[in-house]
Amino acid sequence: MKIAFVVQRYGLEINGGAELHCRWVAEHMRQYAEVEVLTTRAHDYITWSNHYPEGRDVVNGITVRRFSVSRPRRPERFGRLQNHILHHEHTESEELAWLEEEGPTSPALIRFIQKHEGDYDDFIFFSYRYYHSYWGISAVPQKSILVPTAEHDPVVHLKIFKSLFRKPRAFIYNSEEERTMIQALSRNEFVPGLVVGVGTEVPSAASPERFRQAHDVRRPYLIYIGRIDENKGCHKLFEYFLQFKKEAASDIELVLIGDTVLKIPAHPDIRHLGFLPEQDKFDALCGAELLVMPSFYESLSMVTLEAWAMGKPVLANARCDVLEGQCRRSNGGLYYENYGEFRQALRILLASPRLRRILGDNGRKYYYANYTWDIIEHKYLKILGQRGAGA
Amino acid sequence: MEDQKRPDSETIDSVDIDYENIDVARIMTQIQKIVAGQPKRAAERGLQPQEPGQSHELHPYAELVPGAAPAGFKQKIKAKALKMMAPFFPVIRLLALPLHEELKAVIQELHKTNQRIDAIDQKLAERDKGQEYIKLLHTLSHNLVMELTKLRIEEDALKSKVRVLEKDLEFLTKRERALEKQIVK
Repeated sequence: MKIAFVVQRYGLEINGGAELHCRWVAEHMRQYAEVEVLTTRAHDYITWSNHYPEGRDVVNGITVRRFSVSRPRRPERFGRLQNHILHHEHTESEELAWLEEEGPTSPALIRFIQKHEGDYDDFIFFSYRYYHSYWGISAVPQKSILVPTAEHDPVVHLKIFKSLFRKPRAFIYNSEEERTMIQALSRNEFVPGLVVGVGTEVPSAASPERFRQAHDVRRPYLIYIGRIDENKGCHKLFEYFLQFKKEAASDIELVLIGDTVLKIPAHPDIRHLGFLPEQDKFDALCGAELLVMPSFYESLSMVTLEAWAMGKPVLANARCDVLEGQCRRSNGGLYYENYGEFRQALRILLASPRLRRILGDNGRKYYYANYTWDIIEHKYLKILGQRGAGA
Repeated sequence: MEDQKRPDSETIDSVDIDYENIDVARIMTQIQKIVAGQPKRAAERGLQPQEPGQSHELHPYAELVPGAAPAGFKQKIKAKALKMMAPFFPVIRLLALPLHEELKAVIQELHKTNQRIDAIDQKLAERDKGQEYIKLLHTLSHNLVMELTKLRIEEDALKSKVRVLEKDLEFLTKRERALEKQIVK
C-alpha cells in the first residue's frame, strides 16, 4: 500500500495545527504502508514564499516531495477578495479567484498528482480550505481522503466548498461537531467518514519543580499554551483574567507559553514565557492548576488533549462548539460563554482541588479511550481498508 | 487528609458538586442559572451586586478597626504595641496629615481619570453601535435597490403586455366593424 499525504507545508520547524497533525499521522502510518508527503516549498503561511529546496527530501525517514509555489500570496489583495466574498453578493469564479490568491498556489503539485495517480493507492489531503486540497481532490476524487480540519470559519460556507465536500471517497474528521457542521453544509452523508482526531506524544515523566525553578514561578497558575493571538481569543482571556483578579482574592497567575502576535497586558500576574521546548511545556502543564483554552475556532485542540493526557482539567470557551462538546463528552473540564461564567467556573475549580483532580482523571480516561496512537492508527487503517466500498 | 473528611457532595458558590458522579453539563447548568440570576449589568461585567459604599476588597487595615478582635500571639503583640503608642497618635496623625491630604488629591485625580475612561468606553460602545447600524443600513439599501430593480423590470414587462393587448383590441374592433359592414350589405 502506498499513501501520499498532501499538505500545504511540511517540515520539522512547522508547528501549525494541521501541518503538525499531518506529520505525526504520516510518521505513525509509516509502519503500515509506504508513505510519501506531497507539499509545497513554503514555510511562511502568510505569503507561502518558496523557502525549502524543490524536489525530493527525507524528513524523519519519510520521503517528502516539494513543489514550487508559482506566486506568493499578496496579503492586501487577498484581504480585499476575502472581504468581498464574505460580505457581498459574488459568483463562484470570484470564490475561485479568492482560493487562488489564498494559495499556496502550486500547479506543479496538482500536475504531479494527476500524472502519478496510478502510483499511489490513496491521497490523504489535509485542510480543506487551501489550493492543494480543492484542486488535488478534484483531480483524483476516487482516491482522495479529506482531513478537513474545519472550524466555524465564515469561509466554510463558500459555494466551492459545498461541492468539494461531496467529492472525496472518504472523510477523516477531527470531532463530532466538525462532522455535523460539514454534513449540514454539504449534505454529504453518503460519503463515508470517521471521527478520528490525532494522538499526541506525552513524555513519560514531567517535573513541575524543574519548570518552577527554571522560570521562577512560585504561585499557583493557570496555563495557556499556543499562539497568543486575537484569533485564539487571547484578548478576551486577558480581559476576563484581569477582571477576575480585581474581584477575587486569589493569588493565581496566568502563564502563557507560545509566540505572540498580540500585545500582552503588563501585569505582575501575567507571565509570558515565549516558545518553550516540548519537555518544558509538559513540565509547565504538569504544574498548572488547569489549562485555559479561550479559542473561538478549533477543529481539535491538541493542547487540550495534551492537558487531559497529563490529567489536568480544562476551562474552555463554550463559543467553540468543539471545545464545549469535548468537555461534555469527557467530563474533563468546564466552559464559559461570558465573563460571569468564566468567573464562576474558575472560582469553583480553584476552590476545589478534588473537583480538579476528578475532572483531570476523566480527561485522562477520555484521552486513553480515544486518542492514543494505537486507536488513531487503527481508525486510519479502517478508512484506508474501505477502498472501493464508498466509491 | 482534607479530602477524606469531605462528604461526596459539596456546595461551592451555590453550585452543588456530586463528586461520586461528576457531570460537567449539570455543573454548567447551575453556573449558567447563577449568572443569569444576577442583575444584567452585573452579570455582563461579572460583578456581584454591591451595596453603595461597600467595597469588594477588605480594608487593608481591617485588623486595626475597633471591634475586630486580633487573634493569635502575633496579633496580641501588635495590639500591645499599638496600646503603647496610643499617647503618640495625635502627633503621628499631625505628621501624617500632609501625606493624607496628598493621598486624597491623588485619589480624586484617579477617580476623575476613571470617569474619563468610562466616558471613552461609552463612546466606543456607541461608535460600535453606529457601525452596526451603518452595516444594517448598507444591507437594507442594497436590498431596496434589488427590489426596486425587480419592480422596474416587472413594470416594463407589464407595460409591453398592455401594449400587446391594446393592439389586439384595436384589431378586434376593426374586425368587428368589417363584419358588421358585411352583414349590413
